[in-house]
Amino acid sequence: MTVRWAVEVEDFSWRYQQAREFALRDVNLKIPEGSFTLVVGPNESGKTTLMLAIKGLIPHSLPGTLRGTVRVFGQPVEHTSAPVLAKRVGYVFGDPEAQFTALTVEEEILFGLENIGVPEEEIGERIRWASELTMVADLLDKPPYDISGGQKQRVAIASVLAMRPDILILDEPTSMIDPLGKDQVVQICAELKATGSMTIIVVEHNVEAFAHLADQVVLVYRGQVVRVAPPREFFEDLEFLAQHDVSPPQVTTLFALLRERGLYNGALPLTDDEGIAAGWQLLAGEGS
Amino acid sequence: MPKAEIAKKTLLGVVPVDSPFYRFHPATRLMLLVFLSVTPLFVDLPEINLALIAVALFLLRWGKVQLGQIKRYLPLLFTVALFMFTVAYLAPGDRATLTPFKLLGLTFYLEPIWWAFVSYCRLIAMLFGAILYFSTNRERDLLVALRTIRLPFAASYVLALSLRSAGMFMEDFATIREAQQARGLDLESMSIADKVKLYTMYAVPLFAVALRRADEISNALFARGYTLSARPATGGKRSDYLRKQYRVLARDWIAIAAMGLAFGAVVALRIGWGAFTDDASLLKALFRWVVGA
Repeated sequence: MTVRWAVEVEDFSWRYQQAREFALRDVNLKIPEGSFTLVVGPNESGKTTLMLAIKGLIPHSLPGTLRGTVRVFGQPVEHTSAPVLAKRVGYVFGDPEAQFTALTVEEEILFGLENIGVPEEEIGERIRWASELTMVADLLDKPPYDISGGQKQRVAIASVLAMRPDILILDEPTSMIDPLGKDQVVQICAELKATGSMTIIVVEHNVEAFAHLADQVVLVYRGQVVRVAPPREFFEDLEFLAQHDVSPPQVTTLFALLRERGLYNGALPLTDDEGIAAGWQLLAGEGS
Repeated sequence: MPKAEIAKKTLLGVVPVDSPFYRFHPATRLMLLVFLSVTPLFVDLPEINLALIAVALFLLRWGKVQLGQIKRYLPLLFTVALFMFTVAYLAPGDRATLTPFKLLGLTFYLEPIWWAFVSYCRLIAMLFGAILYFSTNRERDLLVALRTIRLPFAASYVLALSLRSAGMFMEDFATIREAQQARGLDLESMSIADKVKLYTMYAVPLFAVALRRADEISNALFARGYTLSARPATGGKRSDYLRKQYRVLARDWIAIAAMGLAFGAVVALRIGWGAFTDDASLLKALFRWVVGA
C-alpha cells in the first residue's frame, strides 16, 4: 500500500532574522497521514521552529532566511494562504493564552470556523462536538482568561479541533497545567487517535504520557532531526537518549536497568500498565 | 449539565444575566450609546444634558448595574472639571468684553466660567452614555451590533480587538503592580513625586508585554486563518454565526424608532429653530444671581 505523506520536510533550514545561527539545519522528515508523531528534544533544539514551519507561520509571519521546502499534503507551505493552511493544519500553542483572540470560550471556538468558511448551519454542531470532546461545554459563556490552566489548554485544543484540520499540532500541551489537566489532554489525544481522522503531532518533554500513543518518535537536537523511529525502538538505546538530553519514561528506564543487570530480558515497557505486566512476569519467573 | 450563569462580565464591569438590557438586540443597545453620546453635541442647555446624565444613571440602575461601580470614574470626572475650570479661570479671553465677579477674593469672569460649565455638562453626559454602554455590554455584543449595522468584518474585529487589548493592558498593569508590592513596594508611604516616577517605571515592562502580546495575537490570527479581507478559504462569503444567534424584535424597532425620533427632533429644533441654546437656561440665571453679575 502506498503511504500518503501528510508532511514532507526536505533539506529545510531556517534562520530567524537577526539570529547568528540557523535554528534548523538540513532537516528531512516525513510524517505519514493519520499517524501520531511525538517530537522530543531538549530546550532550544528547534522543535517549535519545526512545527511553526509545518504550520506556515514560518515563513508567512516570521521573518528570516529559508532554504529547502516544507510540504503539507504535497502543497508547499510557502505558497499556501493562511485560510487554506488553517483548514489543513491546526496548531495549539504551548501557552494557551497566547492564542486566545476572543472574550468568551464560544467565540474563541467560533473564530476559526468563520475564518475558514464553515457554513453557519454546521457551526453550532462543530462547537458542540469540540466542546464536549474537550470537556469545556459548560464553559462556553465564560471568558477564556478566567478559567483554570487545564481548562484553558482544553479550550485552546477545542478551538483548533472544531476546525477539523487534517493535521493537528500540539506544542507542549501539558507544560503549563496540573497533573489532572495533563491526564485530560492525553485522554483527548487518545480519543482523537482512535478516530484515525487526523495526523497528530505532539511536541512534548513529558514523553511518559504520550510515548504509548505514538507511531513514531522524532528527536530534534541542535537544529537537526537525529532520529526517527517507532517508540519501542526509539527508547531502546538509553545511552543515545541520555547523550541527547532526552529522558525516557521512568518505567522504561527501570526495566532497562534490570535488563542491564541480567534480571530482565523482555521488551522494554513504555507505560505503567506494561511495566506492571512485565513486573508480574518477572515475579512469575517468565521475564528473566 | 451547564452551570447556571448569574452574571455577565462586560467590558467595564459585571451585570446580572437577567438585566433588562439583554431583552434588547445588541444593535439597539449600540443605538442607545450613539443617542446618548451624540445628542449632547446639539445641546448647550445644561438642564437637558444633566437630564441625559440622569437618564443614563436611571438606565444603569434599571439594568441592574451596581452603581458602586461608578465610583471608580469619580477621579476622572473631578480631573476633567478641574482642567476645564482652571483653563476658564486662567485664560478667560478678552477681559474687556467679559463680566467680572469676585469669589473668595479672586476675580472670575462669568462667560468663560459658565461656558466651561456648559461644556462640562455636555462632556459628562457623553461620558455617562459610554459608561452605560460599556458597563452593560460585552465585546461579543459590540461585535454583533457592528455586524448587524453591516460594518465590514475587518473594521469591527479590529475595533473589538482594540477594546480587548485595553482590558489586557489594565490586567498587565495590575499584575506588574502586584508583583512589585509582593516584593515589598509600599505605595501608601510614597510621596506623589515618587509615585509619578514609579508609574514611568511601569512603562518599560508594560511596553515589553504589549509587544509580546501583539506578536502572539498576530501569530494566533494567522494560525486560525484570519486575513484582513476576512474572505474564507472557500472563497465565498464569510459565515456570520454570531450575528444569527440574535433576532431583532418588535421592541427593538420601537426603541430604535423612539431614539431616532428624539434625536431627529433635537437636531431639527437646534438647527431649524435655534433651540437648546444656553440663553433659556434657568441655571444660568441662578448662576448670575448667585455671583451677583
